[in-house]
Amino acid sequence: MKTGDPGILTTTLEKALEWGRSNSLWPLTFGLACCAIEMMAIQASKVDISRFGSEIFRNSPRQSDLMIVSGTVTKKMAPRVKRLYDEMPYPKYVIAMGVCVIQGGPYVEGYSVVLGVDRVIPVDVYVPGCPPTPEALTYGLMTLQKKIRGEATR
Amino acid sequence: MMEFQPGEERGKDGRRIIKVRKEDLVSTLSKLKSEGYIHLSLITGVDRKDFIEVVYHLHSFERNEYISVKTVTYNSEVPSVTSLWKSADWEEREEYDLVGIRFIGHPNLKRLFLPENWVGHPLRKDYDLKNVQYINVDEEGEDYATFDPGDGW
Repeated sequence: MKTGDPGILTTTLEKALEWGRSNSLWPLTFGLACCAIEMMAIQASKVDISRFGSEIFRNSPRQSDLMIVSGTVTKKMAPRVKRLYDEMPYPKYVIAMGVCVIQGGPYVEGYSVVLGVDRVIPVDVYVPGCPPTPEALTYGLMTLQKKIRGEATR
Repeated sequence: MMEFQPGEERGKDGRRIIKVRKEDLVSTLSKLKSEGYIHLSLITGVDRKDFIEVVYHLHSFERNEYISVKTVTYNSEVPSVTSLWKSADWEEREEYDLVGIRFIGHPNLKRLFLPENWVGHPLRKDYDLKNVQYINVDEEGEDYATFDPGDGW
């Protein structure tokens, strides 16, 4: 495309990068509580997240782009969650799945639960529910893809 | 104030519940173990405000039957049953950690879940939930508790 305007070229390359990143979000194999059961279901055949390029749950944080925090984050687990997040390479994204992860949920008056994983690591997409359905988590993933592509609305 | 009477009753599911004084606890459990209740399934602690109730759930594989043994303590001290079941070791450590029952004769009575410097026992009725504690990991990888919200989570 010879328009003589280098701006168009840069924008297109960024768009291509965003498109590539948003369609190859490899999640970390990481489940904390009952929400992890619903997270496993999004990998199965009914709502297959490999349609969105996220089929490979990597077993190492160093090979994954997306952390789905699925389940109650206890105070004892929080330093470990932080460490796993720190080991992931940039660009990295976080989905907070379920009300426990968002603000404590039913354990909000307890002594042992962190009231929101956003006190530990930055969160991109919140998926409410107790637990969220696999369809809701798939919608959260699609929302994250839109956010990466710069198309998301708040 | 609830009175504790030794004796035997039936639970809602027909399970035998034996109530003993804590002086007779180890002899009762050892007798039940010789009668076939060889599996210590669970130890629970209940804070009844005036006293603390400790419940031992035993299982017999031969009869496929559960039995509960209850005892109470007014000074948070109960004799340990680690001499009868090795698995009682961690069960009693959990009780000590969360309910604050001291098991006399336990070989290694340390906290099981919470860090060593955690203040109080969280499942007690008089535990102060307003005074929030946080957990962080030090240089050696050991957990520690802190009251400073800027230090832990």
